Amino acid sequence: MAVNYDPAIIGRVFETTDPVPVDAATIATFAATIGDTNPLHVDPEVARQGPYGGLTAPPSFAVTFRNGRHFFEHVPRFGKQGFDAGKDVEFVAPIRPGDAITLSSHVKEIYEKTGRSGSMVFVVIRSTLTNQNGAVVAHVDHRFMNRT
Amino acid sequence: MPDKVMRYEDVNIGDALGPEEMYLSKDQVRAYAKAMGMWVARFTNDEEARKEGLPGMITPGNMSLAILSKLVTDWIGTGAARMTRLGTTYRQPVIPDHTIALHGFVTHKNDEERTVEMDVWIESEDAERLVIGTATVQFPK
Repeated sequence: MAVNYDPAIIGRVFETTDPVPVDAATIATFAATIGDTNPLHVDPEVARQGPYGGLTAPPSFAVTFRNGRHFFEHVPRFGKQGFDAGKDVEFVAPIRPGDAITLSSHVKEIYEKTGRSGSMVFVVIRSTLTNQNGAVVAHVDHRFMNRT
Repeated sequence: MPDKVMRYEDVNIGDALGPEEMYLSKDQVRAYAKAMGMWVARFTNDEEARKEGLPGMITPGNMSLAILSKLVTDWIGTGAARMTRLGTTYRQPVIPDHTIALHGFVTHKNDEERTVEMDVWIESEDAERLVIGTATVQFPK
């Protein structure tokens, strides 16, 4: 099956969110829900003596930022069903209390694979997380699988 | 979390992360869904989830990712090593009110870059690998 789409969509940012402020309480709540007691994330005194000189969020906090309201309208669909097949996250720099995080999303790639259960089309959307200083803190690649 | 600092020199290919057993309750999944603004039927309500063709309420993929991330960061400890990459594949739904086991092992070391690669996964009580992944940890140069 040929996968048809407009190649111009690849790499073009389709949505940028408003900045989302990060505070120590939100980080602590997130850490608690997954049972993370690492003092670098929850104990300001220990964190101050640590490698970052202050509290940082657990790396996986990067995936908790919500996509923009129109995110899913821009995810190309092929075939009948779409599944969240996984994520690839590049943690570029720690997220800290006081940061304000913006997500910019684009279609990174579209590819076809044939497995035991038939043909599948994968759509990878990359959301780049940037802080208030314009520094990239993470890239989150969302891998969506469509059965054709 | 045990107070420790993992050093690059102490890491060997084949070293295990875990296995660590974890009883994942429905309440814990609901607490995560609520805190993270993901309060939707498939993550919070068995009956509604079944209407979507699921076996019951499931764990959000992001929560599974966060649980695997914690396996790696607990292994690192409180030192200056940092997880720089985590890739996950959601193979089968993680059903709460079951015990899951978190596994991992070191697959590669790069002495020049001082990075360590590892495989990580979440296993069900039936030894099925529900979520699989790979991670990279950067040690201070």
